[in-house]
Amino acid sequence: MDVFVARSGGLAGIRLTWHVKVDDQPDADDWFVLIEEIPWDDVPAAPAEPDRFTWDIRCEPAEARHPAAGTTDPTAAEPNPAGPKGAEPKATEATLAERQLTGPWRQLVDRVRETTEPQREAPRAPRSR
Amino acid sequence: MPTIVPPYLLDRIAETAGTRYPLAAEAARRALLREPPARLGPSSPGLPLTDAYGLPSALPDAPSTPDRRISDAQGTERLPGRLVRREGERATGDEAVDDAYDGLGDTHRMFDRVFGRDSIDGLGMPLEATVHFGDNYDNAFWDGERMVFGDGDGEIFRGFTDSLSVIGHELSHGITEHTAKLRYQGQSGALNEHVSDAFGALVEQYALGQDAEAATWLIGEGIFTAEVQGRALRSMLEPGTAYDDDVLGRDPQPGHMRDYIETVEDNGGVHLNSGIPNRAFALAARRLGGFAWEHVGRIWFDTLTSGELGEDATFAQFADETVRQAERRFGAQSREAEAVRDGWQQVGVLAEAGQG
Ligand SMILES: [Zn+2]
Repeated sequence: MDVFVARSGGLAGIRLTWHVKVDDQPDADDWFVLIEEIPWDDVPAAPAEPDRFTWDIRCEPAEARHPAAGTTDPTAAEPNPAGPKGAEPKATEATLAERQLTGPWRQLVDRVRETTEPQREAPRAPRSR
Repeated sequence: MPTIVPPYLLDRIAETAGTRYPLAAEAARRALLREPPARLGPSSPGLPLTDAYGLPSALPDAPSTPDRRISDAQGTERLPGRLVRREGERATGDEAVDDAYDGLGDTHRMFDRVFGRDSIDGLGMPLEATVHFGDNYDNAFWDGERMVFGDGDGEIFRGFTDSLSVIGHELSHGITEHTAKLRYQGQSGALNEHVSDAFGALVEQYALGQDAEAATWLIGEGIFTAEVQGRALRSMLEPGTAYDDDVLGRDPQPGHMRDYIETVEDNGGVHLNSGIPNRAFALAARRLGGFAWEHVGRIWFDTLTSGELGEDATFAQFADETVRQAERRFGAQSREAEAVRDGWQQVGVLAEAGQG
């Protein structure tokens, strides 16, 4: 299982991403328990808060690494020769306003930030039309 | 008619700014000629004015009357935090608290004295801010009721109350929410961001007595630590040039419609595409010269409060409305209307001259 976290928005408009390979963690079982608790389909609408961060959280099975629907993040595109296994869970993803980042969401994000350093990425380069 | 420039500033600028800010000095001299003598203050020009205690005072002019309330989240993300400084109370010695207090005062004064708007709602509502929000929190935001400021991580970002343009930016989000209500998504969201940058810059220029030529047009100058290769968060005049750093990367803001960034993140790139209207505003201001709050500031404030602007306004609709408001206030053939139109044309939002 891989966990991807992206923080965008904010007054500075600077994007940060974190990536944790759960299988490589010494406490991988704890991670799986925590990820099981995430209410992926229960993200209530939040009022717009100018300049506050937006959090994108995505978990994917390590064996079937392909960009999840609705994301353009290329960081996951890493070919895996093992190929997909039938019983693996599907990738799950949610986008939360920062004030929604509570409970297991918050625990997962805090844990990711404690485990690994963020990558700073410029948003996509301006493209001419 | 309200005094736009504090007389003490006019005095000081006219006397001392000549070499560094020749345009400001010139404008100040012109403005002083229009001022009745009684407004010029008790001391002779060039001498610092003093307050009731005989100490040199930074703000001897008649202040506006904000109602400020600064709270301290004490490193947590719980709002509002503990109320630590109310209006009229003395400085606490906590730099973030006192910077927020002073910055809100400067912001209130510009909106009140230049645009005649008393606070966020125009009815004197309290200006509430929370400082020391979160742990190494790299941000400042408006939560719909209050301004919230983090202390930064100390490596890339210093405290977010260190920049007056940032404080002005956050308070302006409140004003937009109470006036044009620009929806925080896509182009209307980038306009919401732009309006906050524009008035944030004007607050700083007003406080410093800078004209359009002398102004930096930077947002968040002083927010980065010395480690960062960068001047500020954004440049209104030259979007994309505010920083270029090994760790942070390069300032990604576009300054022309051909470089408009389509993205799902950041509410559709509201902090990126705001560079386009930002540049139009700064170009118009520089073309007109003098104090930007006297011309483009008024035009943009009129646009925000006209009631003519849709909540989902596009760049082009907003641009058309600024031109209309410029013509209404300064005349159809005025150089103000011409400069505003030209600014939007230079960033590719309005079509080139020839057609309306
Ligand atoms: Zn903003």
